[in-house]
Amino acid sequence: MNRNWLSRLCNNSKSRIGISIVSFFIIIAIIGPFFFPEPNAYVDAPLLEPSLEHIFGTTGQGQDVLAQTIAGSRSTLFIGLSAGMLVVFLGLLIGSIAGYFGGRADDLLSLLINVFLLMPGLPLMVIIAAWLPPGPYSILSVLVFTGWAWNARVLRSQVLSLRQRDYVFAAIINGESNMRVIIYEIWPKMISLITSSFIGATIYTIGAQVGLEFLGLGDVNKVTWGNNLYWATNDLALLTGSWWTYVPTGLCIALVSFGMTLINYGIDEISNPRLLSERLVKEKYPFIFNRNGSTPVVRTSPSE
Amino acid sequence: MNKVLEVKNLSVDFLMDSGSFKAVDHVSFDIHKNETFGLVGESGSGKSTIVKTILRILPAPGVITNGQILYNKDDILSMDESSMASLRWKSISIVKQKALNSLNPLLKIKNQIMDTIQSHISISKIDVMSRCNELMDMVGLDQSYLNSFPHELSGGMRQRVVIAIALALQPDLIIMDEPTTALDVVSEKEIILKILELKKKLGFSILFITHDLELILEFADRVGVMRYGKLVDVDSSKVIKSGGNHEYSKKLINSIPRLEAGKDTNKDVMFDPIITVTGLTKIFQKHSSLFSSKGEQVLNDISFDLNKNEIIGLVGESGSGKSTIAKILTKLLKYEGGRVEFNGVNLSDIKGKESLLKFRKTIQMVFQDPFASLNSIHTVYSILSRSILIHRSLSNLSKRERKKAIEKEMLSILSEVGLSPPETFIYKFPHEMSGGERQRISLARALIANPQVIIADEPTSMLDMSVRMDILDLFMKLKKDKKISIIFITHDIASACYISDRIIILKKGKIVDSGPSDEIINNPGHSYSKLLIDSCESGWYTKQ
Amino acid sequence: MSPSVRYLLNRLGFYLIAAWAAITLNFFIPRMMPGDPASIMFANFRGKLKPEALEALKQTFGITDAPIFSQYLDYITHLFKGDLGVSIAYFPQPVSSVVISGLAWTLFLVGISLILSFAIGTIIGMYIAWNRDGKLDSILPPGFALLSAFPYFFTAMILLYVFGFKYGWFPIRHAYSSNITPEFSIPFIMSALYHVFLPACTLVFMGIGGWMLAMRNSMITTISTDYISFAKARGLSERRIMFYYAAKNAILPIITSFGMAIGFALNGAILTEIIFSYPGQGYILFEAVKSQDFQLMQGIFLTITLSVLAANWIIDILVLALDPRTRK
Repeated sequence: MNRNWLSRLCNNSKSRIGISIVSFFIIIAIIGPFFFPEPNAYVDAPLLEPSLEHIFGTTGQGQDVLAQTIAGSRSTLFIGLSAGMLVVFLGLLIGSIAGYFGGRADDLLSLLINVFLLMPGLPLMVIIAAWLPPGPYSILSVLVFTGWAWNARVLRSQVLSLRQRDYVFAAIINGESNMRVIIYEIWPKMISLITSSFIGATIYTIGAQVGLEFLGLGDVNKVTWGNNLYWATNDLALLTGSWWTYVPTGLCIALVSFGMTLINYGIDEISNPRLLSERLVKEKYPFIFNRNGSTPVVRTSPSE
Repeated sequence: MNKVLEVKNLSVDFLMDSGSFKAVDHVSFDIHKNETFGLVGESGSGKSTIVKTILRILPAPGVITNGQILYNKDDILSMDESSMASLRWKSISIVKQKALNSLNPLLKIKNQIMDTIQSHISISKIDVMSRCNELMDMVGLDQSYLNSFPHELSGGMRQRVVIAIALALQPDLIIMDEPTTALDVVSEKEIILKILELKKKLGFSILFITHDLELILEFADRVGVMRYGKLVDVDSSKVIKSGGNHEYSKKLINSIPRLEAGKDTNKDVMFDPIITVTGLTKIFQKHSSLFSSKGEQVLNDISFDLNKNEIIGLVGESGSGKSTIAKILTKLLKYEGGRVEFNGVNLSDIKGKESLLKFRKTIQMVFQDPFASLNSIHTVYSILSRSILIHRSLSNLSKRERKKAIEKEMLSILSEVGLSPPETFIYKFPHEMSGGERQRISLARALIANPQVIIADEPTSMLDMSVRMDILDLFMKLKKDKKISIIFITHDIASACYISDRIIILKKGKIVDSGPSDEIINNPGHSYSKLLIDSCESGWYTKQ
Repeated sequence: MSPSVRYLLNRLGFYLIAAWAAITLNFFIPRMMPGDPASIMFANFRGKLKPEALEALKQTFGITDAPIFSQYLDYITHLFKGDLGVSIAYFPQPVSSVVISGLAWTLFLVGISLILSFAIGTIIGMYIAWNRDGKLDSILPPGFALLSAFPYFFTAMILLYVFGFKYGWFPIRHAYSSNITPEFSIPFIMSALYHVFLPACTLVFMGIGGWMLAMRNSMITTISTDYISFAKARGLSERRIMFYYAAKNAILPIITSFGMAIGFALNGAILTEIIFSYPGQGYILFEAVKSQDFQLMQGIFLTITLSVLAANWIIDILVLALDPRTRK
């Protein structure tokens, strides 16, 4: 059934576009920097408009914007994906313990989750990041510390409901250990949710990362998308009208997030059986199909 | 005789990824004026589909592919939207199964009744209110409930509201789609009597859909039997009762358990208790917070024994606590008071990995819903092999030997539960098997542990009638051949009597009666037992 | 005590716990970092501070040689007296007054944007759910998704550049024109609205997508319930079903998540304010970061957190009033 799910995902138009966009950027992130080994090098006069020589123009410090954009992708995507994975894993762990074992453990963990959810993310991130020494590990810890709660809650409620299924009871009565039940009976039923949580978490981590770096809280000497925007603002991009110093990076960020969102739309569509049913009828009988009207009559044989 | 509805050659398809599936196949029948017509069939036979098709409210992926449905000489299948809108409710209305969810939780009762009336006829506010009052009186509900929200009414009351709504515009035909399935037997009879009384008074026809043949034969004029989308038999109740015109009808009639003690009961029972329950109490804590902790007493002072080689039937309605007892006995739930002993060992003392595993080998369980008791992602092989690995000591074998041993064990157990040829079942997924087959797999899983006790929690209530008797016979065979004691939980006293040596009757968490099956049937000790037995007896309607 | 009051007290208790957690976090974060806070600050100022100033800072920070627990108690007492320390970025103003001034403007901005994006988003969501899989349904959700995929400050920058800079239709900074006195007069209100327009637009554009999607999904779930199909069977008009049966039920879980949405909206508001130099909490936070004004940073964190908690409690009261089931 999992194979079927994957193939249906690839067939869905929205997720197909999303997957292509994201793959494109991942490939760029992996091989791109080999073509532009020195993104911080001084190549020309500062703030030159895009031209044939410099497709994206130059920054306020005379660097090539294209090189910076491509180089930035690696760090941003790598940290974004790793943080996303950590966030989901932590959320899955805590959510599963809370949802499966219930009782005191659940009360405590739920309180913890709710408190973390309520605390405003950005201010918290700012003050933690301000105190920490700049660097990728600081960013990673800040992202995971502020981001795990959302997934924990969502995954917990799914575990909670699956916990009450008869097949879970049957496994327990049959003598299975709790860990086996969680890993082999409950988690496989959550593939859809775990995947979309991972994608959602990554969208969040990329956005938050960029935000923090924009405020100057990242390691400003590294080349990342967020830092590109930080330097662009610092070099008064807005006031000098040098849109090319920030638009390409901004577009890349948006496209990656958008691509991921599309994948999530696809997952959503294939998980909802009613939408699927309606689409089947609409495709076969487009003229008669009235979503909110009466059941259509399509005569395939003459009535007697 | 005047015909209210004529269904001619109706066919309905369900579109799927791979082709389409014929849910209804050239079905024809008529409903006469002032007649009660019953449509009987198992789940998947197409009866609910027909009902939704008559009103054309069948959701995607259903499409109507053939036929006519004539109402007063107009073909419903050729009507446009506005004619359909006025047909619905003014001429034909519907009362659905699980009416609990048919009402909008955010609107008051009176608004929902008024909605219905006002969307069809323009009528002054005063007249609408008086009609609402009238309807409430008709179904026997106090008028003050008009200002309540649905969640403030009990299940039975909500069902009556739905019936009131169905009657609001005085339709000629009321369709009842398994309207009493979620209710207990006593309320079920009450509601049906009320509906029939109203039918007599107001004069309308009823199309009653159910899977319970026994029930419908009590009060329907004519009955149609459906199977796999086809109408295989249709005739007067009298004819159907004596076997009908089709072998399938005969099979259904024969699978209704008679209210009499089974022939193999009360033999070889050894008075040597395996399980002893004394004064068991259980309180369900509604989620307590800082300021409140309300509890609901679900079990109150329950005491009984289960002997070796014995089948006891635990009979009660939903909410009586029988499933709770099952979950406590299998250590899925904790209990607050009383004592439970397994072979002399106190249940609460069984802790720690080893003693827990030993405990698991003594008691196993089979669940009610065949679709929910097997995880759809596992094949029969993975489900059963896990059980074999846990309960047979195979650790000192090599990998290849182990695989062989597992297969051998699996084939033998599959044959034991009546699945043949067993090799064909090993690699099947749950959705590739029927309900009856899945229950047998659940039973196989339980048997691998070689338990002393098996708890069967309503194992047949979600199965088609035609396979129920087979499963019940299988349980009796297990008791006889393998000397396994069984706790058989059910709401149906007739099937309990069929296989149980002793019966325990449960009401609202208390034991109200208990004793050997034949005694309970002939000499019920409590008024509630009498009530259950009476509602099982045929002829309860004509007695009124 | 009626169950509703009990429920609200319960929620209040929870918020108090969360507030305590925030306050304590605030206390511990500087102390958990490598090195002591005062020295970090000293190093950050690269010797621009006189040693006496450093001592004064340590005092206001409460970093003494006393045991941690008494430091904590001092900190709490200061908090309840309203003493959050002295700001460096806005020296010599006390942190508390700086923070209060920013709060009003942020509430104004976030309030307007939330209400607008909620209203527009849920209405659109309702319509595209009703006509799901139609043309609008294929375009709008992905369209808004693309819009909200841009970082908040990026969208703000574009809007600022195009409408503020290039065309000059709207002001590019501050909450009101500098030549008007802040008082409850029409010119002041007009000026405030004029200045909040672009920042609000940013937040609304970015926010609509989320509400629309949430409402759409909630509607789709609601539409597949029994009471909707029963309503259809009864011949009720499409309009009545869509509004009174579907939307009315679908919107409840959305409102419940309003509390969470405030948190997200706040994040966006912070970044937007920075771009527009809009003197709300976000802008002040940014100034604080730039000047390494830790006291101010923590003061802002506290006020933001407490406002979010208060807002959540108000939402709880609202939900209670709207859903008759919870009143039972």
